[in-house]
Amino acid sequence: MVDKSSSLPASLPTLSSAATGAAGALARPAPKRGRRLRSLNLWLGAAIVLGVALCAIFAPWLAPHDPLDQDLLHMLSPPAWMAGGDIAFPLGTDSLGRDVLSRLLYGSRIALTVAVVAALGAGVFGSLLAIVAGYFGGWVDRAISYLVDLWMSFPPVVLSLVLMVSLGVGIENVILSIVLVDWTRFCRVVRAEVMVVRQRDYVLAAQLMNFSHLRIMLREILPAALPLMITLFSLEMGVAITVEALLSFIGLSVPANVTAWGVMIADARISMHESMSGLLFPVLAIVITVLGCNLLGDGLRVALDPRMRTKGN
Amino acid sequence: MMPNSESVLSLQGVTLTANLGGQSVSALRDLNFSLARGRVLGVVGESGAGKSMLARLISGLLPPGFDVTSGAMRFVGRDLLAIPTRQRRELLGRQIAFIPQEPLTALNPLWTIADTFNEHLTRLGVPSSQRLDTALRFLESVQLATPAQMLRRYPHQLSGGQCQRVLIAMAFASEPALLIADEPTTALDVVTQTRVMSMLAEQQRQHATAVVLITHDLRLAAHVCDDVAVMYAGDLVEYGPARDVLDTPRHPYTRALKYATPDLTGPRRRLPVLKQQMPGLSALADLPGCRFAPRCPSADAACSHALQHRVAPNGHRVSCSAACEHGADTAELQAALPPPTPVDDASPVAELREASLTYYTRSGLFGQHKTGFDAVKPFSLKVYPGEFVGIVGESGSGKTSVARLLMGIEQPTEGRVLIAGADVTHGTPKQVRRAREQVQIIFQDPQSALNPRRSVERLLTQALEAAGLPAVDAAERRKRALALQSDVGLPADCLTRFPTQLSGGQKQRVNIGRALCAAPALIVADEIVSGLDVSVQAQILNLLLELGREHQIALLLISHDLSVVRYLCSRVLVMRRGEVVEQGPTEEVFSNPKHPYTRTLIEAVPSDDARIAWPPVAAGEARAA
Repeated sequence: MVDKSSSLPASLPTLSSAATGAAGALARPAPKRGRRLRSLNLWLGAAIVLGVALCAIFAPWLAPHDPLDQDLLHMLSPPAWMAGGDIAFPLGTDSLGRDVLSRLLYGSRIALTVAVVAALGAGVFGSLLAIVAGYFGGWVDRAISYLVDLWMSFPPVVLSLVLMVSLGVGIENVILSIVLVDWTRFCRVVRAEVMVVRQRDYVLAAQLMNFSHLRIMLREILPAALPLMITLFSLEMGVAITVEALLSFIGLSVPANVTAWGVMIADARISMHESMSGLLFPVLAIVITVLGCNLLGDGLRVALDPRMRTKGN
Repeated sequence: MMPNSESVLSLQGVTLTANLGGQSVSALRDLNFSLARGRVLGVVGESGAGKSMLARLISGLLPPGFDVTSGAMRFVGRDLLAIPTRQRRELLGRQIAFIPQEPLTALNPLWTIADTFNEHLTRLGVPSSQRLDTALRFLESVQLATPAQMLRRYPHQLSGGQCQRVLIAMAFASEPALLIADEPTTALDVVTQTRVMSMLAEQQRQHATAVVLITHDLRLAAHVCDDVAVMYAGDLVEYGPARDVLDTPRHPYTRALKYATPDLTGPRRRLPVLKQQMPGLSALADLPGCRFAPRCPSADAACSHALQHRVAPNGHRVSCSAACEHGADTAELQAALPPPTPVDDASPVAELREASLTYYTRSGLFGQHKTGFDAVKPFSLKVYPGEFVGIVGESGSGKTSVARLLMGIEQPTEGRVLIAGADVTHGTPKQVRRAREQVQIIFQDPQSALNPRRSVERLLTQALEAAGLPAVDAAERRKRALALQSDVGLPADCLTRFPTQLSGGQKQRVNIGRALCAAPALIVADEIVSGLDVSVQAQILNLLLELGREHQIALLLISHDLSVVRYLCSRVLVMRRGEVVEQGPTEEVFSNPKHPYTRTLIEAVPSDDARIAWPPVAAGEARAA
């Protein structure tokens, strides 16, 4: 008998769909507890990210001090609720007497700017190549996939260090280096999704109707891959925040007169034996923000997946 | 077959209630039947009728939220409902065996057949020294040619029919008292179906097993079963001796089911169409009486409140009010259909001239070995304006490749493709594009063919967006969409809906409407009704006939279903292994087949007449190569 796998594509009749419909029509939707937990993730993540975004936007109004103002009379003062704390410095001061809360608020501006712009850049660049590769297939796909493989074989930390050293410090260069390192993440994952959508008959139908390639990519394929891209974007924001903190920790990110969470950690490292608060709060800020991005991404993955959506009748 | 009074399975007034967010609905209502040892019960119905739910009920694998609220269910003398879940699961595979619908996915792809068999036999408690012998014996009994080799293979190295036979062998290896076969041949070819069914029947006779055969095919059930139970929306609407049910169906739904399938022999008749569709689970709460009443051609006011059960002396039982049984619908069921009008030889809309298609695969580490597979051997075909041509054959016979050549999805390896007289294999891009607009396709799987993110309006008029056509304004587009929507018989309010909100039949209508939008001369339809229920299939077939008449469109119908081809097409080509083995006017080919392969295909279809034995005896002896 002819081995079916070697025979024609799409030639097997799918009578099965009739019968799976039978089970589907009578089966109940899956248990809801898992779903509710996912939607909790979504809202919690969204709340955290929104909160951080509000802090960043309204930092000049929220901050009690200028983040660079040095108050040498109040060096290394503990948070307000601890013994020796000063209500004027709610979260205490660092070794130069700068207000930790104000620095945190201003630091969130850098963190979020980098997160949004870098994730957007990596997303657009990576997805663009992914759609082209997944849609055309053949040698285009091979070339792009090869590039991705090659790119991913560089250790990402070393790659961003090299880029930062050659580009010089500055927030735009941090963003550029994150985009150049992380576009491959998008490219790999989105390409797989595009290849699945590419097999759908409606893409073939659009081709047979003589639609241009660009139009098919934008109108038929992009909408199907968009939920995945949004999810990845949210996760990438978290990654970008971590990378930015890492680079500013080693002094390769922003100029010295700009406040960033990584810079705060680096400054507090010297005096960590006298006071932990300078170290603790920026670390906490990073952890919470990244967690928020990840929860949001996880929640979006479920919320945007049409397979997990209930069928509207 | 010795009818034995010993009852293996009996259901008395079993009602299965589903809890849908606080609302209780009876998913299966008041089921009564009993199945004796050595008897075969066919459970027939369309998707959503509750057939699979019945199988789950018997095997005790109900989804959460479903509970039996009344009635009794006995299995070889034990009260099934009183047995704790753990013990019920112990019955599975031993006392109650199961043959699934998709043989290829039912076997673990990482295990050889020997592994799978071994595990099953271990569970049955066969000592390890005897397992190999037992496996070989049972594989031999289902007539697998080389059982020893078969054991070493992986599922992907087997055909669907072979896999299904392995599963049948495994099912009978436990000497079960009851076998549940859920659409065991639906995923298989007609010819393979015949072999598998005769194998199943033979094993059933040998072991005197009681079988519940779930199928959507009333004729198949009538031929291989002793009794038939017809289900509709969770109700058992008709139950009786198989031949009796097929010959003199008493419930209007059974009649509709019987007449909705086109015949392969006898006078041509127009397929009667039931309005609407089977209600979904959530709609059942509003139907306290006869659930078929809203669709019933002879329902009266009383039907929607009460449901009557009446039993004839021979055990033929029907759940219907008196009014339905008069058979007032018979005249409509027998309406004659004029034969397809032959088409005079104008210039053909599409032509294949000695076109062939060879797929090359490269093997070896560097792809140095090139092997060709002839999907289509040199092939010539002319389709004239307004003509309906059918191509039949098993899967892998190359019929879809012919469609792909015509659509320009594949370029012929040799030969030429002409559309409206223009050579599309060697023309300029512009010529090719213009010619291509003349041919449209209706896809097999409407689910995959419709972009879930487009509304029905934008799907129907998608062709207007195509490159090269002037852009149309929104009002124009709406007008066109409305025209198409009424052409293909979609409800008026559906233009703003999305594909997920449509039923399978409606999706296929959108699919057809989209193909019509470009005003093509030829439509290629590849297995477009194979995924649909028979009553929906009848609607779509009638729609195609109507469209062909009104718009003078030619249709190339690719199908494995001979009766569908006979209903629609005036000319037929029978394909096998990339070659046309027989062609001619449909009536002539089907009533007087010349080629043995055509005869095999025709014999594989269960006859409308229950007295003609099926599956044919010869098929049981044939072995798959």
